[in-house]
Amino acid sequence: MTTTPTIDSVPTTDAAAAPEDARVRNSDGAPARSDGAPDPAKPGRPAGKFLLSKVFRAVKVAVWRSAAIVLFLLAWELVPQFLLGEDTRVFLPPLHDVLLALRDAITTGELWEHLSASLTRSVAGFSIAVTAGITLGLALSWYRGLASFLTPLLELFRNTAALALLPVFVLLLGIGETSKITIVAYASFFPVLLNTIAGATTVDPLLIRAARSLGLSQLRLFQKVILPSAVPTIFTGIRMGGTASILVLIAAEMVGAKAGLGFQIVNAQSSFLIPQMYAGILTVSLLGLAVNVGLVRLEAHFSRWRTFAPTR
Amino acid sequence: MTPVSTQQHQGNPPTPRISLRAVTKDFQVRPAKDTPSGRVLRALEDITLDVAAGELLTLVGPSGSGKTTLLDILGGLSEPTTGEVLVDGRPVSGPGLDRGIVFQQYALFPWRTALANVAFGLEGPQFRRQGLGKEERLERAREYLALVGLGGFEERYPHELSGGMKQRVAIARSLAHEPGILLMDEPFAALDAQTREQLQDELLRIWSATGTTAVFITHGIEEAVYLGQRVAVLSSRPGRLKAIVDIDLGDRTIGAERDLRSTPEFVAYRHRLWELLHGEVASAQRAGHQKIQPDGTERAA
Ligand SMILES: Nc1ncnc2c1ncn2[C@@H]1O[C@H](COP(=O)(O)OP(=O)(O)OP(=O)(O)O)[C@@H](O)[C@H]1O
Ligand SMILES: [Mg+2]
Repeated sequence: MTTTPTIDSVPTTDAAAAPEDARVRNSDGAPARSDGAPDPAKPGRPAGKFLLSKVFRAVKVAVWRSAAIVLFLLAWELVPQFLLGEDTRVFLPPLHDVLLALRDAITTGELWEHLSASLTRSVAGFSIAVTAGITLGLALSWYRGLASFLTPLLELFRNTAALALLPVFVLLLGIGETSKITIVAYASFFPVLLNTIAGATTVDPLLIRAARSLGLSQLRLFQKVILPSAVPTIFTGIRMGGTASILVLIAAEMVGAKAGLGFQIVNAQSSFLIPQMYAGILTVSLLGLAVNVGLVRLEAHFSRWRTFAPTR
Repeated sequence: MTPVSTQQHQGNPPTPRISLRAVTKDFQVRPAKDTPSGRVLRALEDITLDVAAGELLTLVGPSGSGKTTLLDILGGLSEPTTGEVLVDGRPVSGPGLDRGIVFQQYALFPWRTALANVAFGLEGPQFRRQGLGKEERLERAREYLALVGLGGFEERYPHELSGGMKQRVAIARSLAHEPGILLMDEPFAALDAQTREQLQDELLRIWSATGTTAVFITHGIEEAVYLGQRVAVLSSRPGRLKAIVDIDLGDRTIGAERDLRSTPEFVAYRHRLWELLHGEVASAQRAGHQKIQPDGTERAA
């Protein structure tokens, strides 16, 4: 056999095709999936002890993960009270003052007013961006000629900071809702567009060959192979666009608005309502966090198959 | 699972199922540093070969001898530069459901379950016209998954399957639309020895049960002898047909019980092919071609 021009060595990566080995892969390969394939192997373990140690581990992880935030909040509470002088403390009030102001803002409905104003704008702008970005992105990946024609222009726009265009939007569209929705749409449009193009133009050529060998027409190829394989990348763009929409909106509201979280923060500052200002900032960061977590979840959901796909 | 027979000419002499006539394939090589103007690379030269209906032909050749190129041409995924390819006497004009291809790298759609992967080829308009609804489609896909021994794994995604299982799904997918011709490009190269032998026996079983005409590409001489009724040997680049060896080992579907591989006949065939390939492999390596790795990493696109 030594001189045979064949390769018959045994690769270690692929286990035998015995049905058993799928179980191994499923339990260690896809731990985060609750909706996955039914797992035939869930051996009964010595139940109580196992559960306890699992809970203990989870608690430990939770404590460790939140420790930095807890320390930060503690410092926020204690440093102004004990380390700062009277005059500095006015500008950096302790956490409990801020939380009280936040509670007041919630009970008076003021917070909700600003939050809903901001949310309405960002949802409107973001939806426009997602719709337009995906549509145009798919069109550009279909008509390659158009893509090479438009890409330089799109690159130019993309690299123009959205906020730099705010004065233009205000001049053209007035200081009302339209200009703010437009700037949100503008800022979140490009991540969606560029990721859609990237996703739809970098499909594994092998999959395209496989689909063609199964007799698919160009249109069906697009619908059944290119589109689904682009979905995870598109959702990455949607997540990036969502984050951008909040960031840009707050800044835009600070410059010119009569409601919204950005306006609230600036307004509180100029009225010298310092705890209220911090309450607004806290709300903004919580909102940003919530939006990001939600979008990351969404992205992960639509990328499930890719997470564990073999890297070729 | 009705045997597929789309043979049209019953008279004598029978039309070969597949017929390659003086097929030559040139590739335009992209300009590089040493060849700034770009040049033409001849991958296949003057291949003339018939495959009879119901035959299982294996094709061996050193790396870079144009095996994949030949399979692509048979599958209609690329066109010969000169010469022609006939299926049932008609020139091939593109891919078609009369031919099923199994790729070396599985090529499963990772966002689809095993079942949905197998059903993929059944979703075209031609099947809808035949009245194949969603239920019938899935039923058929389920049958073929069971045929390759994967009953119970319908809802698994490709990343939840082992290499051998993925290749089974790929085989089921190429069988599900019941093509008369099965084209396979080193389908078992990435598998370990035991899985490979197991799948070889299953392939023989399926092949004889369905009456499919099959072209099977491999690097393995043993595999070529074990599976093929005839073995076609390609020379190193440009790939020319060096020899065709008839293999007569009796009923090959019972090979598993007989340990066919250690019979004197088998060893003799193996040695004969080894001699045919020996010089070719050496010259392929002189030309800078590495032998393909068992995981198929060397493959040209
Ligand atoms: N699209 C292409 N453009 C240029 N050259 C190509 C192309 N496809 C294949 N070739 C060349 O044609 C020759 C034959 O390639 P092919 O993939 O058919 O070989 P093979 O016999 O399948 O090799 P292996 O056993 O390594 O898979 C190689 O030299 C390869 O570099
Ligand atoms: Mg090849």
